[in-house]
Amino acid sequence: MLGKMWRKDIARNKLITAILFMFIMISSLLVASSASMLLELFRSVDDWFEKAGVPHFVQMHAGEIDQREMDGFSSRSELVKEQQTVEMISIEPDHVYFGPSGESEDGSVMEMSFVKQNKAFDFLLDLNNKRLDVLPGEIAVPIYFMQQHSLELGDTVRLAKGSFSKTFTIADFVRDAQMNPSIVSSKRIVVSDSDWETLKGHFDEKEYLIEFLLHDGERTSEFEQLYLASGLPHQGTAITYAQFRLLNALTDGVAAVVILLASVLMIVIAFLCLRFTMLAALEEDVYEIGVMKAIGIASDEIRQLYLMKYRMIALTASMAGVLLSLFAEQAFMANRSLYMGTAEKNALSYIIPLLGAGCIFLLVMLFCRLVLRRFKRISAVEALRSGSTSAKGRMTRLLKLHRSRFIPVNIFVGIQDVFVRLKTFGLLGFVFTLCFFLIIVPVNFLNTMKSPDFMTYMGAGRSDIQIDMRQTDDVAQRYNDMIAYIQHDSDVEIYAPLVTSSYMMRSDDGVYEKVSVQTGDFSLFPLAYLSGAAPATNDEIALSYLHAKERGKQLGDTLTLIVAGEERVLKLSGIYQDVTNGGKTAKALLPYEAQSVLWYMVSLDVKPGVAIGEKRAEYAAAFHPAKVTFMDDYLSQTLGSTISQLQKITALTLAAALAIAMLITALFFNMLIVKDASDIVIMRSLGFSLKHIRLQYIIRSLAVLMAGIVLGTAAAGSLGQGVVSMLMSFMGAARVEFVVNPFVAYMLIPLILLAVVLITTLFSSLTITATGKSAVAAK
Amino acid sequence: MTIVLEAKNVNKSYSVGRNNEQSVLKNVNLQLQAGEFVSIMGPSGCGKSTLLYTISGMDKMTSGSVAIQGQEIGSLSEERLAQLRLSKMGFIFQQSGFLKNLSLLDNMILPAYMAKRESRAVIDRRASELMQRTGIAGLANADKAEVSGGQLQRAAICRALINQPDIVFGDEPTGALNSKASDEVMAILTELNHTGTTIMLVTHDAKVAAKTQRVLFMLDGRIVGERVLGQLGQAELKVREAKLSSWLAEMGF
Repeated sequence: MLGKMWRKDIARNKLITAILFMFIMISSLLVASSASMLLELFRSVDDWFEKAGVPHFVQMHAGEIDQREMDGFSSRSELVKEQQTVEMISIEPDHVYFGPSGESEDGSVMEMSFVKQNKAFDFLLDLNNKRLDVLPGEIAVPIYFMQQHSLELGDTVRLAKGSFSKTFTIADFVRDAQMNPSIVSSKRIVVSDSDWETLKGHFDEKEYLIEFLLHDGERTSEFEQLYLASGLPHQGTAITYAQFRLLNALTDGVAAVVILLASVLMIVIAFLCLRFTMLAALEEDVYEIGVMKAIGIASDEIRQLYLMKYRMIALTASMAGVLLSLFAEQAFMANRSLYMGTAEKNALSYIIPLLGAGCIFLLVMLFCRLVLRRFKRISAVEALRSGSTSAKGRMTRLLKLHRSRFIPVNIFVGIQDVFVRLKTFGLLGFVFTLCFFLIIVPVNFLNTMKSPDFMTYMGAGRSDIQIDMRQTDDVAQRYNDMIAYIQHDSDVEIYAPLVTSSYMMRSDDGVYEKVSVQTGDFSLFPLAYLSGAAPATNDEIALSYLHAKERGKQLGDTLTLIVAGEERVLKLSGIYQDVTNGGKTAKALLPYEAQSVLWYMVSLDVKPGVAIGEKRAEYAAAFHPAKVTFMDDYLSQTLGSTISQLQKITALTLAAALAIAMLITALFFNMLIVKDASDIVIMRSLGFSLKHIRLQYIIRSLAVLMAGIVLGTAAAGSLGQGVVSMLMSFMGAARVEFVVNPFVAYMLIPLILLAVVLITTLFSSLTITATGKSAVAAK
Repeated sequence: MTIVLEAKNVNKSYSVGRNNEQSVLKNVNLQLQAGEFVSIMGPSGCGKSTLLYTISGMDKMTSGSVAIQGQEIGSLSEERLAQLRLSKMGFIFQQSGFLKNLSLLDNMILPAYMAKRESRAVIDRRASELMQRTGIAGLANADKAEVSGGQLQRAAICRALINQPDIVFGDEPTGALNSKASDEVMAILTELNHTGTTIMLVTHDAKVAAKTQRVLFMLDGRIVGERVLGQLGQAELKVREAKLSSWLAEMGF
């Protein structure tokens, strides 16, 4: 009997049931997908890192190496399991030609390091996570280039320098645990041992990776100290296993977290809709509930009747969500499985999404019980007598038609209703606000990432061109020549030489650690500081956000550095944001010693009207082998994959938010129109045409949407930036300020949302007909 | 005498479930002269209200024709019909039919503001005159929940008259009122009729019908009888009621 009742009820309210189903399904889909994404991400990274034998500590080094000294250190240290020195041949991008295009890689921000497959650990894997082996004449190219140039197996790679030219056939693609992410600006390319020896004869620039595999990965920081104290080469960057892991998981991890956040919003919306439909259904059914109570059916049993219906909807919807998540996962997996491979699915891979969906189901049921507690409060007599639980006398004292001299009647009726039923319309407005927020935050963030101002978060002021020179024997001389050249170049507006060198810093517990500090004039290409300002005197220092956080330093605190053999106490003058070099950098006005310089750099702006591309080419030729980067290119190339992932997320949230807006509008106005049936009949009898009445609903929807857009914009600027900053703070940017494209943010997106909502309202209002549901309901 | 409303062979049927048509109005013919006061009686479900809504253009007829002041309404668009109701008709319902959100005054002036034939100041002035005339002058800003049923029905009359319509339709306008309030409302309607307004109302109360000039009796979707009572003079009310009652009994009411 009860079963028959709820089945009939579902059949009667098909649209509302369908919409509720959709909301719960989408929530379940999102939770299941994000849970599964996070799980699979970690499993894949683990699987991949295990197969690749990722070292626990890697020291990059550009000078000469004494391997005997290294072996001695390794055998003395009980921490070291194995040591391996990887010799890489650095080849300038302008000597490399990918595919049939015939264009060299000149202009690429990537450093190309040619290597042999390693023997002991740190294996370069193929796309099946197997150790790759290339034969003479063959080459294995990193995934990054494969994507950039749409390379395929069998394509060619040509190396040419002067009279030397050699063509390789692509036999495989490299999955490199150390350098895979596009944010890492060097890439390892694998050739056969014999070809490698040939290349060595023609290209003389070398770089080493000094790699250590430890017995116990947990003791990496202990080892780091030991290594630094040993006097072994430590001029270049040092990276640990944990950092590799973080770098690799970042892009997909951020995506998963964003989807998780979106699903939280979605669940909130789903619950609001549930509450709204349940209360509306209760109000509609209050007479029947009164009858049931009057004939002696217990409150609990009546509640069961309602619960049964929602239980069926919630159960089927959350299961459908899990099923859909299996497909949705594919879309987001593409990037991950290409970059790190896919771990075999195990039981956990299926249990976690199911658990996620199960949580949604339980939450929905709990919530339903909570809402249905109202049953107890309905008195049979009252229900039978009034047939309604709503309070009477809802007229507003503020808005009066006879006091409004000019407002057209339909607009007045629509807007006044919004004010009178503020609580009801507030729900719709809240959902619109959330929808707009859901769209605008990723869009603004994407725009921020694409903007040249994103440089701010990379620890450098914005400039046109940046020239990097790495440590070589004659670097100091070449650097001075370069400065002289730029100084006399009339095309240059301003330039700032910046030198990064390593210093020893004494931590609070007396241990010396190596830090890299940039010195130079920071006023020419100013950086927005999180707090404080750039160092202005030679006893001041500025730290990046993560750096300051790790050391627990605040503005005004002091740090002790060894400068020219003497301890110098520096005051922390400012904290800035930097996502490069693991987010830990520093800036100060210190004298530097040539032997401790890590790299030299010049930032410059050309005069208006000067073609930057040509200038870049001119410098690349003049300062060879320095790396000359057009900064706009640099951003788009290093952030490329993050941006494309973010674009996917933006598209997904846009679609989801528009779908939500459409569903809630349809749900809301369909219920409202049924509820307003008697008023609609009255207005029709008075001479309002259907068109007028529909217009009133559109006015309502418009008014609420406008409020939603305004609130959503405000929320995006405050809360949205906060959420993004929180996510980005893990990477080193703790205060992200959106660069807003006003046309997109204030025109295009509101218009799209407007179009979706208004069209849906219009369609819903088409149910107002002379003989339709509303007319029948009124009778 | 001019004919204000003429209905010829009006049929109206609803579909009930699949392949099942229920005929509610069957070949109804009817004429309403200017200045008449007509009532329609009949048992529950005989089609009284449907007739009212069909000939006023609120509901679509299945076949037949209805002309209001010579204008055929069957072929008019929904838009034009609404315009016609706005300018030429007034409605009074059993339950006042006031919009919940608006005060009594705002409800009254709503159709006039909508019609935009006069300035809002003129409309406001007419509303206050009408309220004076119907004895609810102090209730302009009241909410519908704050006043009595009788007061509400007077306000409904004011609203029906705000656009100075050619016909006022009433669907059981006294149905929810006690006898005192009912008498008061009928007194107002009678006075209105005396000043020239054409009124047609549906009622099941013989005492109410006795105050109108002509009574139509409906049964099973047809008009099966008509009784002309003529202009009402105070003295003869009891006699009219008695005559009407015996006629109704004859008709099987």
